[in-house]
Amino acid sequence: MAEEERKYAYFLCSTYTIGGVRAERLLARFGSPRAVYEAETEEWRECVGNSAAEALERQKKSGEWEREYGQLSEQQIHFLLREEKGFPGKLAEIPDPPYGIFYRGKLPDENEPAVAVIGARECSEYGRYVAEELGQYLGRAGIQVISGMARGIDGISQQAALSAGGTSYGVLGCGVDICYPAQNRRLYEELLEKGGLFSTYAPGTKPLPQYFPPRNRIVSGLSDALIVIEARQKSGTLITVDMALEQGRDVYVVPGRLTDRLSDGCNHLLTQGAGVFLSPESFAEDFLRSWEEKQGLSADGSGGKNRRKNNRETGRNTSKVKLPKESLQKILECLEPVPKTSETLLQELWEKGEYTDISALNRALMELELLGYARQNSPGHFSTSAN
Amino acid sequence: MFTTVCSAAVYGLQAYLVRVEVDLAGGLPSFQLVGSLGSEVKESRERVSVAMKNSGFQIPPAHITVNLAPAGRRKDGTAFDLPIAVGLLRDMELVPEEALQDTLFLGELGLNGEIKKVKGVLPIVQEAAKSGIRRVVVPGENAMEAAVIPGITVWGVNCLNDLLAALNHPELETEKVYQPRIRAEDLLREGTGQDTGDFREVAGQENAKRGAEIAAAGFHNLLMIGPPGVGKSMVAGRIPGILPPLTLKESLEVTGIFSVAGLLPPGQALITRRPFYAPHHTVTQAALIGGGSGIPRPGMVSLAHRGVLFLDELPEFRKNVLDGMRQPMEERKVQIARSAGMVTYPSDFILVAAMNPCPCGYYPDRNKCRCTQPQIEKYLGKISGPILDRIDLCVELHPVDILHLQKTKTEKSSEDMKRQIRHARERQAERFAGTDCRFNGDIRSAQVEEYCPLGEEGQKVMEQLYRTLQLSARVYHRILKTARTIADLEDREEITGEHLLEAACYRPSETYWN
Repeated sequence: MAEEERKYAYFLCSTYTIGGVRAERLLARFGSPRAVYEAETEEWRECVGNSAAEALERQKKSGEWEREYGQLSEQQIHFLLREEKGFPGKLAEIPDPPYGIFYRGKLPDENEPAVAVIGARECSEYGRYVAEELGQYLGRAGIQVISGMARGIDGISQQAALSAGGTSYGVLGCGVDICYPAQNRRLYEELLEKGGLFSTYAPGTKPLPQYFPPRNRIVSGLSDALIVIEARQKSGTLITVDMALEQGRDVYVVPGRLTDRLSDGCNHLLTQGAGVFLSPESFAEDFLRSWEEKQGLSADGSGGKNRRKNNRETGRNTSKVKLPKESLQKILECLEPVPKTSETLLQELWEKGEYTDISALNRALMELELLGYARQNSPGHFSTSAN
Repeated sequence: MFTTVCSAAVYGLQAYLVRVEVDLAGGLPSFQLVGSLGSEVKESRERVSVAMKNSGFQIPPAHITVNLAPAGRRKDGTAFDLPIAVGLLRDMELVPEEALQDTLFLGELGLNGEIKKVKGVLPIVQEAAKSGIRRVVVPGENAMEAAVIPGITVWGVNCLNDLLAALNHPELETEKVYQPRIRAEDLLREGTGQDTGDFREVAGQENAKRGAEIAAAGFHNLLMIGPPGVGKSMVAGRIPGILPPLTLKESLEVTGIFSVAGLLPPGQALITRRPFYAPHHTVTQAALIGGGSGIPRPGMVSLAHRGVLFLDELPEFRKNVLDGMRQPMEERKVQIARSAGMVTYPSDFILVAAMNPCPCGYYPDRNKCRCTQPQIEKYLGKISGPILDRIDLCVELHPVDILHLQKTKTEKSSEDMKRQIRHARERQAERFAGTDCRFNGDIRSAQVEEYCPLGEEGQKVMEQLYRTLQLSARVYHRILKTARTIADLEDREEITGEHLLEAACYRPSETYWN
């Protein structure tokens, strides 16, 4: 597309109320972005309704967008239209795909598998553990992790994937130049460096609640499968699942305890026939098989099969570890992924005939943490380490 | 006729002698008080004249002038009633002149002539003894308090007539005057048993008990985090009981503060128990730190001097109140400036704070806790960094399962803890002899390397801790100080890796504050 036309395409994309569907309708009527821009408000109104037309009019009048468009390259923000080369194929295939996207960093590699990991922002320690372990596994196995860079499950899995040397992509509900939530600043920087950040919203768009549900479609749209770690019965995560199903993505769900409200949504999805996530290994096996089959159909075998097999490394060594002291071994056996209080551990040890006191136990637990086997979740909570 | 009677007053904890000058002259009858007086002192005129009338003395119709010298210094309180009355009686030649020699008078008069208790007797008597006063005449209720100071005769009197009789007829002295003879050392020895409850009564909560033990041994500030009803207050209330008994010097300091605040129980000579104060979270800054109109009064932080200040529901305290705690915690004293001068009260206490982990109390149990992250952050953010920086130990308490407890119940009693703590205190006394530090909790960052040297093994563990836990420099120092106390509790000079590991376990957590 000509540079001049791109500018007017930016005009469309930077108007919040104009999404993929409306852009399509406008272009169908007027022919080109420039023609859309030059049309009268009345004509817009007939085509896309009152409020969208007004938004377009405001945008046109303010003229800000033109300056913003000029600054894109300076801010190292890429602007890509659906019809242009390089636009993620998977995203272009979803129902009502976005007309254009903004991104910083890289685009996901189309020839590599990508998995979306999503879940509750206020996650439990169980969710945190699974997200960390999964993220790490995916990172090591060379599977790209797509998520929303939110607090909780999203951010944890992405951070884990990056730390394990993998790549990850964040889809934001605001402009890609804004780090939201602010506490994920480190993740934001790392994503820029090792992966990419996406948004359908123009740079500078502030994070508003109404922007988040639409971005969830992009999360599932960019990936081949979706894993739900923790979700309440009514949650944004379940909206994403509906969209993923609509887009024909496989959905895997981490089962939870009946008593955990944070697993209600997950268990509910399981009753509806979602795939059961039992371990990163079994998931990867299952997922990669179906992914390779699909790849075989669409791209007649790129030889990626062998490469990945070699790359794939078993996540965690679950066999018994050798520890310098026997007492540490006994304590490690009592630890679980879900944090326990040190007093509970003390009790369990006593029941096993291991008579220790709190001071010795705390010392041993901290030693296990230094050795990388345990993790102190809070002053009095310990769990096994995800590493 | 002109008479001078010796009396005294306190400003803060500082006592100073006041000369009460009473002049009776001819002229139009009047009664004037001068010398920069507060309203209670001005009212003294009415109390004195009525009390004297009701005790059977008719004040002559004369021109009476009373001056309290130094006249430039503001005077408050009711303790000048008695010296003014004694001055008038001397002017009326009802008291022999030698009876006033080297004698200090303090006391408030009731309208019927009785002598009521006053504040600040202990610091005044201390000052009087230093200035060569040989006898103090105080209200009967204050006599015990005054008698603590050696080398000075104490007369406790209950009414004006008794006093007059004793001053005129030395043979009546023993009958009319209460002269307690006590030795402070004996009182301390007798009064050390503290009925604060035993740690053995606390079911479970091993972490909290251990934290309390370390805090008591090294004078570290302790933070307890846990849902409501798990025993945070129970643990806090038992800490004074495991602290070593007050020494005489400490006891005099504490008693002085109580005396000035007027909180010394009647008839009690010394505070022999470590104070424990638990102000409610609605407390005002003036009540907690000290202040008020007139002479600033000591606040809770000073009343808890040498003892425990327990702040339950820490984030619920008003922010300005908590921020006011910075100076008392940092400098271990409170300075309150007024235009009339500066008052300094000591405030060397162990801060024991308790709080819920979030507004609903159940975080990090995400099944029960529905607080949002911003809510939790806001809640925790109410505790400012400078306060947190002074907290060395942080322990968590959890709801306990009573049925399971029976099996693991450790029989560590307060007495056992006390014994270990005594060792630790002795080691610290030796270590800090001749310095301004008293306990490990007082060690400043710059002194950490001097007092908490690490051997090769310790160094290695500390490096690992630093890397693995990504410690900040501040937390690093706190771990070293706590490890120092843990080693002292085991009566060991060298800080080993084990001590460091345990200390690191109680560091304020990054889950709660990062």
